[in-house]
Amino acid sequence: MAGIEKVPAPRAGAHTVIGSSIVIDGEISGDEDLVIQGTVKGRIGLRESLYVESSGVIEADIETANVEVSGQVTGNIVASDKVELKADCKVVGDIRAPRILIADGAQFKGNVDMDVKELKGK
Amino acid sequence: MATSDGSTIIGESILISGSLNGDEDLTVRGRVEGTLTLTKTLLVEPTGIVKAEVQVRNCVIAGAVVGNVTASESVEITNQGRMVGDITAPRVIIVDGASFRGRIDMGEVDVDAARESRGAARAAPARPALRAAPRPAAAPAARAEARKAEEPAAPAKPPAPPAPVAMGAVKRKVIVKRK
Repeated sequence: MAGIEKVPAPRAGAHTVIGSSIVIDGEISGDEDLVIQGTVKGRIGLRESLYVESSGVIEADIETANVEVSGQVTGNIVASDKVELKADCKVVGDIRAPRILIADGAQFKGNVDMDVKELKGK
Repeated sequence: MATSDGSTIIGESILISGSLNGDEDLTVRGRVEGTLTLTKTLLVEPTGIVKAEVQVRNCVIAGAVVGNVTASESVEITNQGRMVGDITAPRVIIVDGASFRGRIDMGEVDVDAARESRGAARAAPARPALRAAPRPAAAPAARAEARKAEEPAAPAKPPAPPAPVAMGAVKRKVIVKRK
């Protein structure tokens, strides 16, 4: 509906938006892009991209194809493709993905594992 | 980065299980299970499935909802909406084509006040027949007397009901049944 058209081009594929005042305690799973501006606690499992915007707060383990973090994430991130930590993000937890990008200004504490070929082979 | 703020959309392939709280409108095209609490409007689109205890201000159901819905303002089930559960809201709208099973509580429905105002205006003339029909009891005479005693007490009946005719009808009915 009207909401979709408002989503800008880079988020064109994102049909799911968790707004800034939303708090979810539990599990989110799905096969499409997810934009988080609010708070999620628990677990996130996607087959597409996860965007944590600057107002987004995540206390959850994340398992997706792509992750782009501009907000706060506490928890382990496993991505089959790429994890991108943007400037001004705060991430605490372990990251496992074949491609990991950390921008200047990003805060991160945790382990990084880019050697996930065996995981892919499984 | 501009985004569609102020509204949250749960896409078709998304499943959220757990609790969801918020202060903005929520559109559900996927699935939500658990509890859902909002201070604004919940819109369940035709593809949306909500299996949850729902507490919102307004709720529009065009998809499927299983669970109890409590709304501080209104609940509307559209013609595509399906719902099983109890509704508590001051305004409940169910349109033609909607499917619903459950209880509805619209709160302070003052039955006594409604009966009094209606009883004075409309129900009085019809009363004898309505009362007697469902229970053809053993003592119609006693009942008729009781009714006689009752009737003068009924407040302000503008057109005096055709009581004798009605009572006759009652008696006849009872007799027929006994045979």
